[in-house]
Amino acid sequence: MKLFRLTITCIPLAFAALSAAAWADGDAAAGRQKTWTCEGCHGIADYRTAYPEVYPVPKLGGQSAGYIIKALQDYKSGSRKNTTMGAIAAKLSEQDMADIAAYYAAGAGN
Amino acid sequence: MNKQSVIVALLMSAIAAPVFADDYAAGKEKAATCAACHGPEGNKPITPDVPRLAGQYYEYLVHSLKAYRSGVRENAMMTPMAKPLTDKEIKDVAWYFSKQTGLIHKY
Repeated sequence: MKLFRLTITCIPLAFAALSAAAWADGDAAAGRQKTWTCEGCHGIADYRTAYPEVYPVPKLGGQSAGYIIKALQDYKSGSRKNTTMGAIAAKLSEQDMADIAAYYAAGAGN
Repeated sequence: MNKQSVIVALLMSAIAAPVFADDYAAGKEKAATCAACHGPEGNKPITPDVPRLAGQYYEYLVHSLKAYRSGVRENAMMTPMAKPLTDKEIKDVAWYFSKQTGLIHKY
């Protein structure tokens, strides 16, 4: 069981080590200028997606930077599917993604 | 609202309240596994590529876990974690994380 737990812990660490090099350094202030589009949905409390499945779009304040970058990369590549996010991420550069992630990861305050 | 419907509503909430408490406790217990990567209360991910869960919307968490379970969303860690979960377990875990203080609404 201990070995299992250790393995479970090590897998994401290995992923992080592999993917860290792929991330650009984010600039939160620059990110602020790139989140106007995001605000239309993520900036409204309890804002919901529409057809075919209805659920509130996720809160992003305080979210892990690496996770936001990964989500945007996956939406862009199409490996994670969402019509709206796919269209938005398609226009973002790696630097844009890093900046946006830095802004949201910084947490509280607008 | 007449008197009768008020009484019915009160009775219903009295019955429902302990059920929520049970769901929270069940979710908390189930969430112990999640803490290995997402941190205590889903609030301190061990690496930056792991999302914070504390305070996330309940329905979004349910949506995400179901997407991992069905295979619509794929992840080397989350797919095997979500596969064995029942609908009830997904709801309990999501309820527990949604009740923690963490993520905020930022615009």
